[in-house]
Amino acid sequence: MEEPLLVIDALRKQFGVRTVLNLENLALHAGQSYALTGDNGAGKTTLLRLIAGLETAELVRARYRGVDVDLNAYPERLRRDVIYVHQHPYLFRTSVEDNIGYGLRARGTPRREREAVVDEAVAWARVGHLLDAPVHKLSAGEKQRVALARARVLKPRLFLLDEPTANLDRESRQQTIELIRDLCNSDGVALIACHDPEIIQLPGIRRLHLQGGRIERDSSPPPLRRQSDDVESAEQLRHGQQWQRVVND
Amino acid sequence: MDWLTTTEQAFRLLLTGDPDLWAIILVSVKVSLLAMLIASPVAIAIGYLLATASFRGRQLLIQLNQGLLASPTVVVGLALYFLLSRQGVFGSLHLLFTRQAMILGQIIIALPVLVVFTLSAVQAADPRLRETTLSLGATRLRTALTTLAEVRFGVMAAVFSAFGRVVSEIGCSLMVGGNIAGFTRNIPTAIALETSKGEFAQGIALGFMLLAIALTVNFSLAFLQGEG
Repeated sequence: MEEPLLVIDALRKQFGVRTVLNLENLALHAGQSYALTGDNGAGKTTLLRLIAGLETAELVRARYRGVDVDLNAYPERLRRDVIYVHQHPYLFRTSVEDNIGYGLRARGTPRREREAVVDEAVAWARVGHLLDAPVHKLSAGEKQRVALARARVLKPRLFLLDEPTANLDRESRQQTIELIRDLCNSDGVALIACHDPEIIQLPGIRRLHLQGGRIERDSSPPPLRRQSDDVESAEQLRHGQQWQRVVND
Repeated sequence: MDWLTTTEQAFRLLLTGDPDLWAIILVSVKVSLLAMLIASPVAIAIGYLLATASFRGRQLLIQLNQGLLASPTVVVGLALYFLLSRQGVFGSLHLLFTRQAMILGQIIIALPVLVVFTLSAVQAADPRLRETTLSLGATRLRTALTTLAEVRFGVMAAVFSAFGRVVSEIGCSLMVGGNIAGFTRNIPTAIALETSKGEFAQGIALGFMLLAIALTVNFSLAFLQGEG
């Protein structure tokens, strides 16, 4: 069997005396996306932030692509491969394009190449009409789409999305779900903390439910192998049609 | 004393390009701008580090800078005088009563203002800002530059305040500069001298210039920082 992208053998996170997370054997497989559900305060955001290296845990044993890694001393390799998107993303007070190209600039991507990638991402996220708008005046949905584009241009192996559709109006939510659906079909793994039933039911997504600091046994169907050609499985097609109906409604 | 006539004389002095007057103005501009150019990058970096890094003595450094905010400029001048005077630790450098000594004094006066205001601006930044730069793979240096750019209004407030303080301070300039005509006489020391001699016209002319310099520099910087 193929080596999972990330395995957390053990993880314990406490806030004071309260144990928020006490996980064992959580594996994220390449080519698979996951909806992380759970009540408010179940530790969904904390888990994402730990995997993103934005918080430390009392105990963590993990393997990334078969190699032991210490998430508390976050390795450079993971920094390049893992991107966390906040529930309410922070956009730099520059322009939409500068925001999307920020990570590429940080990685030293040549300007010409960067501009081409950013142009493509602007079209992907449907934010072309916002290029001249002051960033702080963007709506929550628009900010979320810019943040998704900003993450996507870096082609991470693991997207960590924190409640990406929470507090969005109907139309913004649909546009965001459409982008997430596309991300889930890309090569990367998406781990999405959410309550949104529509994300949970996206084709091929697996549900991980957090309760009492542990991941409950997964009740969703086994992972679908991603199709390398254009033929979609019956399951994906069915979900896709359902999804399309919702968009059209 | 006829204020109107005196003010008219003051403007005539300025407009006819009175060389003594312009020499004084030039000393002020050169000394204060140079002090700010040297102090700003160093102090902004220190302010950023104090806001973001954790190390031993951090609290002490913060308290020291906050305490120095209130230091009277004449006391800074006095301390520097003792250090630079012939018997002082740095007496061999022969810096007393030079422009370099004035610049040094103004750097010391500007530093805590710049450090404390930058520190508070960076500390007030949204915590998601740093997490976002980090997650997008920015190096520490890029994160610092992005953060400072994001909180630029706070940082510029630091620069405005510090410049306002150094360009108008008189105590230190008088102590370590010595108010030597054509060499270390700047606007504040000249105003004090001229007014005490009863030369109000020159005092008023210099007062206008001091205001004009402060406003010009601040407006230029405000233009540079862009819109919010």
